[in-house]
Amino acid sequence: MPDAPAVRLTAITKRFPGVVANRDINLSVDQGEVHALCGENGAGKSTLMKILYGMQRPDEGTIEINGEPVHFKSPADAIARGIGMVHQHFKLADNLTVLENVILGAEPRRRWRIDFAAARARIEEMSRRYGLRVEPDALVETLGVGDRQRVEILKVLYRGARILILDEPTAVLVPQEVEELFDNLRELRSEGLTVMFISHKLDEVLQVADAITVIRRGSTVAKCLDPAEVTARQLAELMVGSELPTPELRESTVTEDVQLEVDDLTVRTAEGRAVVDGVSLRIRRGEIVGLAGVEGNGQGELIEAIMGIRHAGTGRIRYRSGDDLSDITGWPTRRRREAGIGYIPEDRHRHGLVLEGPLWENRMLGHQTERPNVRGPWIDRRGARRDTARIVDEYDVRTPGIDVPAAALSGGNQQKLIVGREMSGEPRLLIAAHPTRGIDVGAQAAIWDYLRQARAAGLAVLLISADLEELIGMSDTLHVILRGRLVAEVDPGTVTPEELGSAMTGAEGP
Amino acid sequence: MTEEKPPAGEPEKPPVSGDGSPAGEPEKPPVAPEAKPPAGEPDKVPAWRAILQGLGPQRLALKVGAPVLALAIALAITMVLLRLTGADPFSSITAMVEYGTEPNSIVDILNRSTRYYLSAIAVAIGFRMALFNIGVDGQYRMAAMLAAALGGAIALPAPFGQLLVIVAAMLIGGLWASIAGILRVTRGVSEVISTIMLNAIATGIIAYLLNDKRLAEVRPGSNNVATPPIPESGRVGELNGVLSAIGIDLPGRLYGLLPLAIVIGVVYYVVLNRTRFGFDLRISGLSPTAAQASGVSSGRMIVITMVLSGMVAGLVGMPELLGASYEYSLNFPAGLGFTGITIALLGRNHPLGIAFAALLFSFLDQSSDVLQEVDVPKEIVGVMQGVVVLTVVIVYELVRRWEIRLQQRAVAAELARETS
Amino acid sequence: MRRGLKLAAVTLTGAALALSAAACGGDKVESGDGGGDKKTVKVGLAFDIGGRGDQSFNDAAAAGLDRAKTELNIQTEEISAKPDEPDADKEARLKLLANRGYNPIIGVGFAYTNPVTKVSKEFPNVKFLVVDADQCKVEGANVLGACFSEEQGSFLVGAAAALKSTTGTIGFIGGVNVPLIKKFEAGFAAGAKAAKPDIKILPAKYLTQPPNFDGFKNPALGTDAAKGMLDKNADVVYHAAGGAGIGVINTMGGAKKFAIGVDSDQYNQPALSGVKEFILTSMIKRVDLAVFDFVKSTSDGTFKAGTKAYNLTNDGVGYSTSGGKVDDIKAKLDAFKADIASGKITVPTAP
Repeated sequence: MPDAPAVRLTAITKRFPGVVANRDINLSVDQGEVHALCGENGAGKSTLMKILYGMQRPDEGTIEINGEPVHFKSPADAIARGIGMVHQHFKLADNLTVLENVILGAEPRRRWRIDFAAARARIEEMSRRYGLRVEPDALVETLGVGDRQRVEILKVLYRGARILILDEPTAVLVPQEVEELFDNLRELRSEGLTVMFISHKLDEVLQVADAITVIRRGSTVAKCLDPAEVTARQLAELMVGSELPTPELRESTVTEDVQLEVDDLTVRTAEGRAVVDGVSLRIRRGEIVGLAGVEGNGQGELIEAIMGIRHAGTGRIRYRSGDDLSDITGWPTRRRREAGIGYIPEDRHRHGLVLEGPLWENRMLGHQTERPNVRGPWIDRRGARRDTARIVDEYDVRTPGIDVPAAALSGGNQQKLIVGREMSGEPRLLIAAHPTRGIDVGAQAAIWDYLRQARAAGLAVLLISADLEELIGMSDTLHVILRGRLVAEVDPGTVTPEELGSAMTGAEGP
Repeated sequence: MTEEKPPAGEPEKPPVSGDGSPAGEPEKPPVAPEAKPPAGEPDKVPAWRAILQGLGPQRLALKVGAPVLALAIALAITMVLLRLTGADPFSSITAMVEYGTEPNSIVDILNRSTRYYLSAIAVAIGFRMALFNIGVDGQYRMAAMLAAALGGAIALPAPFGQLLVIVAAMLIGGLWASIAGILRVTRGVSEVISTIMLNAIATGIIAYLLNDKRLAEVRPGSNNVATPPIPESGRVGELNGVLSAIGIDLPGRLYGLLPLAIVIGVVYYVVLNRTRFGFDLRISGLSPTAAQASGVSSGRMIVITMVLSGMVAGLVGMPELLGASYEYSLNFPAGLGFTGITIALLGRNHPLGIAFAALLFSFLDQSSDVLQEVDVPKEIVGVMQGVVVLTVVIVYELVRRWEIRLQQRAVAAELARETS
Repeated sequence: MRRGLKLAAVTLTGAALALSAAACGGDKVESGDGGGDKKTVKVGLAFDIGGRGDQSFNDAAAAGLDRAKTELNIQTEEISAKPDEPDADKEARLKLLANRGYNPIIGVGFAYTNPVTKVSKEFPNVKFLVVDADQCKVEGANVLGACFSEEQGSFLVGAAAALKSTTGTIGFIGGVNVPLIKKFEAGFAAGAKAAKPDIKILPAKYLTQPPNFDGFKNPALGTDAAKGMLDKNADVVYHAAGGAGIGVINTMGGAKKFAIGVDSDQYNQPALSGVKEFILTSMIKRVDLAVFDFVKSTSDGTFKAGTKAYNLTNDGVGYSTSGGKVDDIKAKLDAFKADIASGKITVPTAP
C-alpha cells in the first residue's frame, strides 16, 4: 500500500448558506479502501463531498490527493485528478442507450466521428473487470434503479476515476439491490480503487466499510473507526450525539371504528393504465396502516386519490365524519381536508410547501379555510402567525423567524413545519408519506412520538415509507403494494426487512 | 371518467437541480427514485417565473433600494444612448423634465397613467397566478365598444347611466376573458395562445359591429365611425373641480374616473394579501402542485382569475369613454393591453410599483413630442422604456437572489449558534 | 405581436426621421442668416401615425411643407404621433407647438379635427390647418379645414381601369377598413361601372381592420392581396393602402399587369422605378397643395378661415398621365371629369 493517503482533508471549514457549516473537518482515506462517511441529514456530509468534488470551494483548509495539495475550481478539475461522483439522484438521459450515456461528454473520436466501437470495447472490458453487469445497448428508460446506478458508476469509471464518491447510494435501493451494490464495491476495492461512501444506514456501513468517519453538525466526531470495533448503536449515538430512538409501537390502540374504508379502488393514467388496481383497505381509529412498496408501484396515486387530488376511476372511498361513514369519492380536496384529513406529502417541495412563501403562509397551506388562519373570507394574520410561532416552538423548527421563506430552511426543518401543521387542528386521518425522510434522527424520533400520541388519541394513519424499519416498527397493519395491487398483508410483529423487501419486489411471499 | 385530469395549474417542469446538470434532466419513469434535491439546497425559482410573478426582495430597504438603483442605471444608459444619437443628453433630459412637469403635461400624464394602471393591474392579476393574460387588449376594446354602444343607446339619470356602462364593461371584459380560462381548463389550451387569438377575434368583431348598419353611426362626410355619443347625463365629469376645491388648479381635463384606478389598486392589494381567495390565488401561482394539494381547485381558480383579470380589463377604457371621448370610434386608444404587460412587469405586480411604473411610462410617452422638437428621434422613447424595464427586471432578480442567500445564511447562523 | 411589428415600422421610419431631423437642423441655421428683413416664420406640422416616410399621405403633406420651406423661406418643425394614442395626446402635441411659438400649425389627418378645434380656442392668434377635416367641418376664426373628394378622383381611375382591362375583371385593395378608404372604393366602383357597365369588380379587399393600421404600412400584406386578385383574373388593381400599396404595385408589375397608384403620382416614385411601366395611372390627392396653399396664405395675409374643398374642379384631386398609359382614353376620362365637375354625375362616397 502506497504511503500517501488517497484523500486527505485537513481543517476544512465551509460557511455555506442554508446548511450547517463544515467546521474544521479532518479526514483521511487510504488507497484501496471503502471509507464510509456517516452523519445525519444536514450534518454536512454532502457539502464535504462537494468540496472534494470541486462543486464547492472551502473557505479554509486544504485538500490533498495522493499526497499532492490541490485546488479544485470545478468538478472538471476533480475529474482530471481521478475523482468521480455518483449522485444520489441519477443524471442519465432516458432516451439514450447505456453506451451513449456512459460516453456522453467524453466521446472517443476518430476523425470527426464518435468511435463507438472503441467505446463499446472499453465499456465491456470495464464492466467485466469490475463486475458491473450492464448491457451497452439497452435503453436507460428500460432499466431498473440498480442498473441505472451501475451505469452511473460505469460513467464515472469511464472518465478515469480512481477515487469514487457515492452519495447515499442505497437510499433508492431495495435490500437485494443493496447486496449487489456492495458486491460491486468490493470488486472495485479489489481492483485498487478508493471508494467514499456516504450513508446514514448504519448496518450497511458496518457491512461494507473498511473505515468509518462520523460527522455531526459540521464537525468530525469520530475518525477512521474500525467497523469491527463499533456497533450500529454506537455509531448512531455518535451521529446523533445522544441516545437513539427506535420506531416501535407499544400497546395497540386500535379501535373498532373504521375511519377510512377504501373499496375496490382503481386509478388509471391518462393512457388508461391502472396504476392503482382494485385496492381495498380500511383504517380504524387509533390504527397505523403501513403500505410497503418499491417507489412507483401506485402508493403515490393511491394517496392522491384518497386526498382527492387524483380522480378515482372506479371504486369507493368512505370516511367517518361524525358518526357514520360517508362516501367521499366525489368530494373535492378542500372538503376532505376540512373534514379532518391531514396530509404529509411525499414531495414536500412540490406538494407540501410554497417555497417562496414565508413560514406563516406555509402554515396556512392546506388549512386556509380553518381557524386560526382565517376568519370568514379574511386572512387572520395575527392568528396564523401566532400559531406558526407555536409550531416552530413545539416542533423545534430551526429558523431565525417566521417571515423567512420556506426555501431558506433545511429539508428536515421544512418537514418538521409540515408535520406540525398537519398535526394541528385535530386531524382524524393522517396520510403520511415518508414523514421522516431526509430529516435528522432527533426529529425523526419526535415525529414518531407525535404519531404515537395522536394514534393513542384515536388518529387513523396511513403510513408510506421507504424506510422498512420505520414501516415495520410503526405499523399496526402492514400491506404490500406491487404494481398497483395490494399483494400481501404481513404481520409487522414478525416480518423482517429482508422478507418485506422480497415481497415488495414480488420475488416471493413472506 | 377514467381520464386523469391534467394538472391544470402550471405544466409540470422537471425539478431544477441546484447543482446545474449539463442537459435538462429527463423525466424519469415511475421506477426511478423521486428526484429530491439534496438536503440543504433549496429549490431555485427559475428566473423567468420570478420575473413574471414579480417576486422580489422582501425587506423594505431592498424593495425601495432596488428600483432606485435600477432607475439610476437606466438613466445612465439612456444618457449614453442620447449621446450616441448625437443629442446633448443633459439638455434633452432637461427638456423632457421641463415639459413633463408643465401643468398641461401633468394632466396628460395622469390621464395616461390611469389607463396604463388599470391595464397593468388586469395583467398583474393573471401574473400572480402564473396566468399570462395577453388578451387584456382585446378584452378592454370589446368591453369599451359594447359598453359605449349600450351607453349611447340608453339614457338613464345620473349615477345609473354611468354604473350601467361600467358594470356592462366589466361583465363583457370578464366574459371575453373567461373563454380563455374555460379553454385552458377543459381543453388544456394555453391561455397565451388563446388570448392572442381572442385579441384578433375581438378586432374582427369590433370591425364588424362598428359599422353604421350595426352599432355605430357615420356622420355625413366623416372619415370616422363611432358609436352614438353617450348623453350628458351618462358622462363622468372632470376631476379638476374637485381638485381646485382643495387648492390644486390644473388645466385641461383630468379623468373623473382616476379615483377608480386607485380604488382598483387598493382592492387588488387587499384581496390578494388579506383574503383567503387571494391566498389561494397567490399560492396557485407560486406552486400549482402545492396549491392543489392544499385543496385549491386549480380549474376553478384559473377561470375565476381569468374572469377577474378580464373584468378589470373591461375598466381600462372607461376613464376615456366616460370622461373624454363619450364614444367608441376609430380614434379610441388601442394597444393599452400590451403596454399593461410591460408596466405590470416593471411594477413587479405590486399596486404601488405599478403606479410608479405607469407614471414613469406616461412621462416618457409624454416627452416623446418634446424630444422631437429638440431634434431627438421619438423612437428613443421606446428605447428608454425598454432600458428601464430591462434594468429593473435584472436588478430586481439579482437583488432577490442576493437576499435569499442572506436569508439562508441567517438560517445557517441560527443552526450554528445552537451547535456551539 | 403588435409590438414587434411596430418596432419594425419604427426602424423603417427611424431612418427617414433621422434624415429629416438633420435637414431641419441645417435649415434652421440657414434661415437664421437668410431671414434678413422678415421675421422668421416657424411652421409646426403634426403628423398622424406613420409620419414622414410613409410613401403616401404623410409624405404628400411633407412634400408640401418642403416646398413651402424652400419657396417661402421659413422654418419648420415636424412631430409624429404615437400609435394608438387618444385625442388628448394630439391636443398636447398641438399645444406644445403653439407654446413654442410655431405659427401656423398643421394637423395632418382627420383625427386632428377635434384636437385642433379645442386647441385653436386657446391660441386665437395661431392659425391652424386640418388636412382631411372630418365631415368637412371646422370651427373658429383661425382654423382652416381642407377636405378632399377622393371619390371623384377614384371615379376617374375606376373608369380608366375598366376601359383598360382586357380580362374584364378589376379589383380594389384598401389599406385599413375605415370610412375614408371606403370613399376610394365607392368612387372606383362607380367609375368602372359608368365606363363599362358589364365590368366585373372583385369584392374589395381590406388588408387590416382598425385598430390595426398595418394595412397602411406592411407591403407583404399588399403583396398577398394582389396575388389573390391576380388569381381571380384581375388585370387592373387600384390600391389605397399607403406603404402597403408598394407590395400591390410590385406584385401586379411582376405579373405584367396594371396597378393604379394613389395619393401622389407613383410613376415617379424611385422605389417603384422597376415596375413603373405597369402603373396605369395614379389617383392624385393634392395634400401637398393644401399644405403649401395654407402656409402661403398665412404668410401673405390671404388666410381665410372655414373649409376648402379640393376636388376635380380645382384639380385638388385628379389622375396622373405620366408614362402615357392612359393617353388613348384621355378624352373619355376628361368627359367624365367634366360631367362630375358640372354636377351631371354625383359620385357616391360609400360603397
